[in-house]
Amino acid sequence: MTVIPRFLPSMLLAALVAGPVCAADEPPAHKPDEKALRAPALKDKVPLVEKENKCILCHGEKDLWEGERRRLYVSDKDLAGDIHWQKGLRCYDCHGGDSTTTDISKVHSEKAKFLTLKSRKNIPELCGRCHSDINYMRQYQPSMRTDQLAEYRTSGHGKRLEATGDPQVAVCTSCHGGRHHIYAVHDLESPVYPTHVSKTCATCHSDPKIMEGRQYHGRPLGHNQYEEWKQSVHGKALLEKGDRSAPSCNKCHGNHGALPPEIGSVANACGACHAKVAGLFANTQMKHKFEEVGLPGCATCHSNHLIRQPSDEMLGMGEDATCSKCHAQGQHGATLAGAHVARTLRAELDDLSQLIAEAETKTAEAERLGMEVSGPRFDLRKAVDARVNARTLIHSFDPGPVGRALAEGKQAASEVKERAEGAMHEYTARRVWLAVSLVPIAVVVLLLLVYIWRLPIPAATTANAPGDPTPEGRPPDNMERGTI
Amino acid sequence: MSPAPHDVPPANATFRQRVRCFFGERLGLESLTALAAKKHVPIHRATVFYFLGGMALFLFGIQVITGILLALYYKPSPDQAFESVRAIMTEVDYGWLIRSIHSWSANLLIGVLLLHLLTTYIMRAYRRPREFTWITGVFLLGLFMAFGFSGYLLPWNQLAFFATRVGTGIMGAVPFVGHELLLFARGGENVTGDTLARFYAVHVVILPLAVFALLGLHLYLVQKHGMSIPPWAAAKVGGERNVPSMPFVPHFLLRDMVGWYIALGILAALAALFPWELGHKADPFGSAPQGIKPEWYFLAMFQTLKHLPQHVLGIEGETVGVLFFNFCGLVVLLIPFVDYRAAQGRPRHLLNLLATLVVVGFIVMTAWGLLEK
Repeated sequence: MTVIPRFLPSMLLAALVAGPVCAADEPPAHKPDEKALRAPALKDKVPLVEKENKCILCHGEKDLWEGERRRLYVSDKDLAGDIHWQKGLRCYDCHGGDSTTTDISKVHSEKAKFLTLKSRKNIPELCGRCHSDINYMRQYQPSMRTDQLAEYRTSGHGKRLEATGDPQVAVCTSCHGGRHHIYAVHDLESPVYPTHVSKTCATCHSDPKIMEGRQYHGRPLGHNQYEEWKQSVHGKALLEKGDRSAPSCNKCHGNHGALPPEIGSVANACGACHAKVAGLFANTQMKHKFEEVGLPGCATCHSNHLIRQPSDEMLGMGEDATCSKCHAQGQHGATLAGAHVARTLRAELDDLSQLIAEAETKTAEAERLGMEVSGPRFDLRKAVDARVNARTLIHSFDPGPVGRALAEGKQAASEVKERAEGAMHEYTARRVWLAVSLVPIAVVVLLLLVYIWRLPIPAATTANAPGDPTPEGRPPDNMERGTI
Repeated sequence: MSPAPHDVPPANATFRQRVRCFFGERLGLESLTALAAKKHVPIHRATVFYFLGGMALFLFGIQVITGILLALYYKPSPDQAFESVRAIMTEVDYGWLIRSIHSWSANLLIGVLLLHLLTTYIMRAYRRPREFTWITGVFLLGLFMAFGFSGYLLPWNQLAFFATRVGTGIMGAVPFVGHELLLFARGGENVTGDTLARFYAVHVVILPLAVFALLGLHLYLVQKHGMSIPPWAAAKVGGERNVPSMPFVPHFLLRDMVGWYIALGILAALAALFPWELGHKADPFGSAPQGIKPEWYFLAMFQTLKHLPQHVLGIEGETVGVLFFNFCGLVVLLIPFVDYRAAQGRPRHLLNLLATLVVVGFIVMTAWGLLEK
């Protein structure tokens, strides 16, 4: 602390030179749990104050920075979690300037190539200086992408930043942890770690104040996407089951080049994972019709963020069926023939489900009775697989292949049901067989007992061994008749 | 060698007499008939114990027949064993019945043999000159237990696989030669397809040959020395010669047959009402199922070993247990020589006390093992 009075004028000058940086009006970034910040051991390895990095002598002193200037303070904790600091990069690597001197006129001088972040727009450019340079990045990670800045410029965020300089629009630091604690993407604490991405996006996109009045192609952007996504099959898979293959915001919208998919490309976004369904849908007339009338492909039936677990109830012309929304009223050019197909497919799908349920019940019943039905139980998977296939093929909206898959499933389920019933019949037959076989056994035993009782034991027999040639002794008188 | 006079049928002999003479002349049936006529079974309060030997023989016969039928369909390889047993249970006509009878009969056989051993002990039937009858009987019990152990693995299901791993692992606790024994039993360090092939060969070739040889000797000795009469039964009527008896053929044989028919009925009922389970296919890389237990006749030993302290007197607990059981087996084997004064009717209080402890211990530990989850 003894250095403070000596450098106080320099520090004040530095603060003036640094100018209005973006921190004050920057949207709040994801706040990592402080307990999870880098352990002291790491700090020991990367001392925050180094002889050649004198910036920290001033910028590391909290008491020197007050009010709006507090943004120029850099704490130990910030740097300890920062991937750049961990990799050995220091203040001057990003900000320029001369860090070897405490002479304030030299530290922040143009001669020392000190960079002034005059506006929020400068942040992507500043990061891009290194992250767009493959020759530079290769030394840290040879396979690292260097197109982030280019992508960002095409994104909704980048375009808005460029066009309006909107102070609330997301820049690199908004998502990656903050100005001086940028986490590695694979770091569990990173705001862009797969399980955190959606929450990071939600810091702005769920804020009604920030999102108020914002539009895309004339449509309001809204602020309920995160809440809907959390309740969706994808959100539950990722947040509740920890399934990292489940998509969050960036899987469908892109990350650096984030934009809502266009009407015609919604199916492509879904198809990144649901390839088979997307392939089937791409070859249907329905797809072209949807594009003609401006319906967003998959999202028309499945919604966009609030995607529920699909069910058979979605098919057909019932109240809850999605088909009926258009085909019942002939909306968007939907035909009555289509309604008939939907109704037929639903009926057949229900038939198969009913048959599978019956086969399962019969198999379980036979198993409960102690019959060996592991074979039929295994074969029941064929029927279940055929149903899954049929549900997928429904996206072709062609009754032919769907009907064939359903027929295959029905045949497999019928066979299983038949075998399970056979096992149950055999169970009954075994009992009948047992009863029938016990009767002759009982009769023979009875006859033997009668015969034994009537067969007299010969007199004058003794318990001699065969080797004894001269048996002696007599049986008691009461042993004349056979005893049991 | 000219035929015996009675093997030549008289001129006016009936067809039946002629057939009898035909076979008698060629097979020497007369000597067998004479032997059967001589054999008598003593009648006293414990005569019912004599049925146990015949019952064991009957159950062994069932094992041989059902075993041969199962061997027609069974495939002894890890890839096919489980599937072939499942096919026997589901696709082969009456396969479920044959397998269930084979399994139930095996368990009943061990039970009958244990009772046979116990009743023989109670009757002191091992006393001079029947020492070797006892010894061959004890060896036969050991062979039948080996039958059970080797047959248990053959369906290659989860429970059998891990029970065999534990069972063969216990062999490793034998001092000095434990590891070699383990390698010999498993055909390698682990229970694999080699173990299955080995167990199959032991189950269908080696053990049957050994049992037939030993059983032949055992039956010969029984025939040679006759049925033993308990000392107390002989004393009651003033000596063995005064104990009444019945001819083995047909009197005792008919009574034996009653028992066999009843056993057949029980086996049929057990097979129909409680078909032997197949379980799930063995997964050598899976985790051992919970509550893994061996067959009931090994359960007392297993339970004892399981609950022994890790070290007893500085020696590994499992090793102490294995040595103790081997010692017990040796004592049982040598009982005729331990109780060498049995022929003089001397009391055997200490031996009876130990036998009671062993029987009670066996029952308690088995029950504990069955009830423990």
